[in-house]
Parts: sequence; structure tokens; C-alpha cells
Amino acid sequence: MNFELGDDLELVVETARKLAESELTPRLRESEASRAVSEDLLGSWEEIGLAGLEVPEAAGGAGLGAVARVLVNEELAAGDAGAALALDPYGPAFTAILEVAGEDAASEFVASLSRRTARALLIMGEDARVDLVSDQISIDAPWVAADRADVIVVLNGDEAILLREGFTLERVRGAGLRAAGASHLRASSAPIAARWSNSEGAARARSRARLYYASLLIGVMRAACEFSAAYSQEREAFGKPIGHHQALAFLIAEMRIAVDAARLLVHEAAWRVDAGLPSAVEASSAWAECIDVSRTVGPDAVQILGGHGFMADYPVEKFMREARALGLLCGGFDAAIEEAGRELVNSTHPLSLTTHGAN
Amino acid sequence: MEFSIDVDVQRRIEEARELGAKEFRPAGLEADRNAAPLPVDHPFFERCIERGEGRTRWQGLNPPSARPAPTRTVVGTLLVMEELAYWDRGIINAIPGPGLPEQSVLSMGTDEQKEKYLGPFLEPDRPRWACFAMTEPGAGSDAAALTTNAKRDGDGWILNGAKCFIGSASRSDWLLVQATVDPSKGRGGQRAFFVERGTEGLGGFKIEKKMGLKSYESTSFTLDNVRVSAAHQLGAGGRNEKKAGFKTAMQTFNAGRPIIAAQAVGMARSVLDEAINFAKIHDLTKKDRVRDRIEGIARRVRKARMMSVRAAWLADQQRANIIEASMSKALGAQIAQESASFALELLGTMGGAGNHIIEKLYRDVKAMDIVEGTGQIQKMLIARSLVGLPR
Ligand SMILES: Cc1cc2nc3c(=O)[nH]c(=O)nc-3n(C[C@H](O)[C@H](O)[C@H](O)COP(=O)(O)OP(=O)(O)OC[C@H]3O[C@@H](n4cnc5c(N)ncnc54)[C@H](O)[C@@H]3O)c2cc1C
Repeated sequence: MNFELGDDLELVVETARKLAESELTPRLRESEASRAVSEDLLGSWEEIGLAGLEVPEAAGGAGLGAVARVLVNEELAAGDAGAALALDPYGPAFTAILEVAGEDAASEFVASLSRRTARALLIMGEDARVDLVSDQISIDAPWVAADRADVIVVLNGDEAILLREGFTLERVRGAGLRAAGASHLRASSAPIAARWSNSEGAARARSRARLYYASLLIGVMRAACEFSAAYSQEREAFGKPIGHHQALAFLIAEMRIAVDAARLLVHEAAWRVDAGLPSAVEASSAWAECIDVSRTVGPDAVQILGGHGFMADYPVEKFMREARALGLLCGGFDAAIEEAGRELVNSTHPLSLTTHGAN
Repeated sequence: MEFSIDVDVQRRIEEARELGAKEFRPAGLEADRNAAPLPVDHPFFERCIERGEGRTRWQGLNPPSARPAPTRTVVGTLLVMEELAYWDRGIINAIPGPGLPEQSVLSMGTDEQKEKYLGPFLEPDRPRWACFAMTEPGAGSDAAALTTNAKRDGDGWILNGAKCFIGSASRSDWLLVQATVDPSKGRGGQRAFFVERGTEGLGGFKIEKKMGLKSYESTSFTLDNVRVSAAHQLGAGGRNEKKAGFKTAMQTFNAGRPIIAAQAVGMARSVLDEAINFAKIHDLTKKDRVRDRIEGIARRVRKARMMSVRAAWLADQQRANIIEASMSKALGAQIAQESASFALELLGTMGGAGNHIIEKLYRDVKAMDIVEGTGQIQKMLIARSLVGLPR
């Protein structure tokens, strides 16, 4: 057991945190209104080298894994989850190609896109209507967090399907994450550019996509906890800080416990992905837990600020909306518990620990 | 980041599993059926001693140099505890040995006190117990408010008061009794005293009838003008004399919190396995509702385990872990209770019949949110550091 990140990851996290604090948090409402992050921000993110976080070094990326991804996502989302999405040119579309189609296909995939301005979208079969007729695909996805896209990757059953044309994005208002955009995506008998099938790879791709959004959710919830806890020490009612009334003090403690526990599940599942261990149940569980927790943490953060929390002068209403919106992706809670539950009822020792250096 | 365990810990867990299945589970069920703690002369305890349990961690005043103390991680110990509690939590507390007060004696006791009170536990000739008596009928969570008092009498002390719910009290060779020497000083006025069995004035032992964890005794007793010498005060005359008060008592609990959490996790894991087993036997695994319940339990257990392991790992790194320990205890106890309750719904009226192990676990596990600091007290401690909740 080791909960330490190690120097390399520590540095990556630190970099992401600094950027979030100095660039994302201060411009949170501005990015939301303009449905984008600024050009110079995209540039500096690319310069730091974190835009291609999981892209193999041979293909010019940082060559990091799922653990690095969840750590970075948490930091960015603690600033602005929408911006975190906008800053990532490939999103979980890249890891889907990597896991289902392999490294060569993944390198080709990134070579065809600009690291600064590309938007690659992953559509999970669970989140859209997908119809396949021979080598054509039709898609109806009511919400994707983007205003434009260069490529679409559909993760459908055991398959990853690549589209380069024949789709449209029509702007919608969006419930949250507007800094990344918000659209209704449609494709009608669009040509399939490439497709790969690989059941184990698809399972890992699904795990990584869930962990991707789970870690964004953790970041949003962390921000909600920290903001409301700090506020509770300043705002006074009935002669003392509201946080010193036990009802709120305990609520704040419970929020912190819930988020810490959910984060540990995300970390463990990401570690399993990187270690090449089966991770479907763990990632589904982690994702389900994040969603479960977000159902209360978001609204509770608003509650701690009372009427002020309801107003856009404070960021907690945004945290509440965006936590809820994130949790609707990847099939949401129901698909996650269904996937984990199916495996669990058939296992004999469902929670046995992994032994290091065995086998 | 690395979430696997090493081969040595794995082996210890497997040993615990064997011991648990062969010894702990049957003993725990027997006590539960009889609604009484295992008697002192139960062969189970003899076998404990034969296996080398019930001993002190203390190495003796002149430890044989050839025997280096095994370096065991807190994480390893915690996972072993999780496994043992899986089989029967009550039995863990029933096992003979210096128990809860051992750590206080190790850290605050004088050499003479270690020799006298831990010495008999080096190579015990028979099952021996000791206990730590803090809780009183009028003071539990608010331990600073306890009223058992120690008054100077010549160079000794006279103790008066009443204690309750004290584990193994009536069978203990000695009881480490927390008392106040100066009520005006609140917690600062507290000291701990060794009271030996048979001391005049120590009596009124009453073994409580409990909802669960019946396999070990939780006992009330009174101290009626109990006279002890100055040497009976923990740390007396030694360099730790001033420190051996309230703080020591609290440290006993701080170290124990992740362990209690892990035990709750073990119990919840037992619930999970039994629930899956039940679903399989009754052909329920195809029902969404059943699978969802099982997934919910598994997820709860998984997160509580990670929280307890993290707190233990921090302890291994010698880093501050007070919040993490409290978080793990509050969460572990709560999820274990929810899990058992959830699983009983799966059983329906078969659970209502009162003879399924999940029903026993449901009764046993409630105590985990009460002992060594209730869930509320943990949240108080967490909130102190998060938002500066005043005392
Ligand atoms: C099976 C079992 C074994 C035990 N073994 C031992 C033992 O070996 N030695 C020993 O010394 N004790 C032992 N105890 C006692 C145990 O430590 C106490 O029961 C526990 O500390 C709670 O104290 P109490 O029962 O007096 O409850 P109280 O302190 O009266 O608490 C009642 C309720 O009030 C809540 N509460 C109290 N203060 C606050 C606050 N400030 N804010 C919010 N809520 C609060 C509590 O959380 C609880 O819900 C044992 C108890 C049990 C059940």
C-alpha cells in the first residue's frame, strides 16, 4: 500500500493546481458566458505539455496513465470543470481508441488532430441513440459538452467507431459545463471512417471514460466543500459563525468524508487500470459512488450559503449544476451499478485484496 | 500510488481467515445463542493460550537480544483485524490479554509497573485479562466530566465512584481506572490507577445484557473507598507522571479508531458475502433490485476499507492522521450498519426469524458507532479541524 503520488505525479498535480487557481477559477463566469476558454490558456496548457497527457511519448505526448489523468482532472475541475473539458483536445475519445484499437491507431488518431484546438468527442452507447447499418452510423445524442468537434468516437458494446464527417452539432443551452460548449449531436447515415472491436479493450475504455468524468466530479465536489466550509467560518448567525452550529459543522464533516471516500475509490480503480488488472467493477463502483455523493454534496454546499448560494455571485450554484450534469454521462448511476452488480453476484470473494508480487 | 498488499500480509490474512472460520465463528455463535459471554474456563480460552495469544507486546525489562521485535505495519495489523472481525467481532474482545490498557502502560508506565502488570502476560500460565475503565453511568462521550475520584490518603489514594460497560472487567487481574484527583481542573485533573482484583471496596460487578457482541462481557462495577498505594498511579514517580492523565487515555482511542473502522469493514464484508450467498441459493441474482442492493453494499464496504487503510498507512508513515482516523471510524461504523440493514431486507421474513448470521451481524455492528468515540464525537473532532468548531 502506498498513498504517495511520487515526485513526478506530484509535479504534474502541482502544475495543474496552479493553473486552475490562477487561470480557471478567476475566469469561471467569463468562460461560462463565452462558452470557451481563452486562446492563450489553450496555448499555455499545450506548452506545459499536459494537453496530451495519456498520449504515448513516441507520439509526442506525456505518456502518463489513468492515475495521472484522474489527478489532473480533479485539480482542473476544482477550478472549472467546463474549462477542464475545453482544455483537453482528445478527452476520453483518445483512451477509447488506445484501449480498443491499440497504440498505433491511437498515435495516428492524434497525428490527425491539432493539439491546441482539436475537439474529439467520445459518445458512449449508453448516452445516445446509435444505429448501425453496414458501414454507416446514425447518432442522436441530446447533449455533448462541446460546440464543435473534429472527430467523434462512439464506444458501443465491444466496438470503437470513428467518424470524421457527416455529423452536426446544434447548440443547446446546456445544464452546465458551458465553458466546453453544449450541443445536440446528430449523425444520419454518416460514413464510418474506421472501426475496431475488442471486448477487453472496450471494457477498459469504458472504465477510463468513467474515471475521467468521476475525477472531474471529485474536483467539483472538492471545490464545493472547500468553498462552503470557508464561507461557514465567516458568515455569522445567532452570534457565532454558522459553521460553529453543530448542524452545519457535522454536515461539513460528512461532506468531506463522502468526497474523500469517493476519491479513494477513483484512485484505486485508476491504479488498477494502470496495473493492467481487471477494473470494470471498480471503475463502475467509483463512478456510481461519485454520482451518489454528488447528489447531496452539490445541493448541501448551496444550502450552507443559504440564499447567497442560490445566486450567481457565488460559484456554488454552478458546482451544484455541473456536478449533477457530469453524473448523467457514461450511462449515469444506473448503468454503473448495473455493470458492477452483474459481476458481483457471480463472484465468490468480491472484495479480495490484490497481492503484490504474487503469481 | 499502489494499492496491493505484500505477500507477508496476505499470509497473515489467510491465517486469520483459518483461525476465524475454525475458532472465532463457532465461539461467537455459541455465546450469542447462550446470550452470555464465554465463561472464563471455556476451552476456547485454553486454546488461545496454547496458540500463543493473550500475551503482551512488551518485551520484558531485559529483552533477550536475539529476539528482535517483528516490524509489523499498522496496515497489516488492520487488515488482519478486518479479517478476524469478519468471523466474529465480539470474540476479538473476548480474547485474553492486556487489551485496551496495554498501550497506556507501555507509553506511560514505570518499569516497575510494566514488570508488575504486563510481566504476567509475557508467558501467561492461564488466560489472563486486564481492562480499561473510563466510562461511567453519568459520563461517556464527555469523558472530561467523569466523577470517580481519587483522594490523597497518606502517600496513597482512596478511590470512589462507579464505572460501566467495561470490557472483561469482572475477569481482569487488574483494572486501569480513570479518576479525577482534582475536579476543578477538568480533564487536566485526571489520572489513571491500577486496581487489582480482590482489592477491598472493588465490587458490585454486573455483567450487562447486550443486544449484540454477547461473546465478551461489558460490566459495571463500583469503587467504594478502594485504597491503593502511590505506586498504583500510572506513571507515578516516573518521568511521565504529569502526562499520564486524560491525554494518554485519549491517545488509546486515537490509535484504535482505524482498527475499529476496519473491524466494521470486516463485519460488512461478512454481510456482503452472506447476502450474495443468499441471493444465489434463492435464485435471486437475476433480479435488478437484488443486484442493486448487493452493489450498494459492496461499494460501501470498498470505500470504508480504503478510508481505514489510508488512516493506517499514515500512521505507518508517522504522519498526523487524526482527521483521517476519525473519518474512517465515522464512515466504517455507519456503512456497516447500513449494509446489515440493507441485507436483512433481502432476506425478508427469513431475516425476521432471527437465526440468520446477517441478523446477528445487524445486532453486533451497532456498537461500532458507539465504542471508542461515537460517530457524533468523530464528526466533532473532524469539524474542529475543518471549521474550527470550538470545544
Ligand atoms: C459494547 C460496548 C463496549 C464498551 N466497552 C468499554 C470499555 O471497555 N471501557 C470503557 O471505558 N467504555 C466502554 N464502553 C463505553 C463507550 O465508550 C461509551 O458508551 C461511549 O463512549 C458513549 O458514551 P455514553 O454511552 O455515555 O453515551 P453519551 O455520551 O451519553 O452519548 C449519548 C448520545 O449523545 C451524543 N453526544 C454526546 N455528546 C455530544 C456532542 N457534544 N455533540 C453531539 N452529540 C453528542 C452521542 O454521540 C450519543 O449519540 C463500551 C460501550 C459498548 C456499547
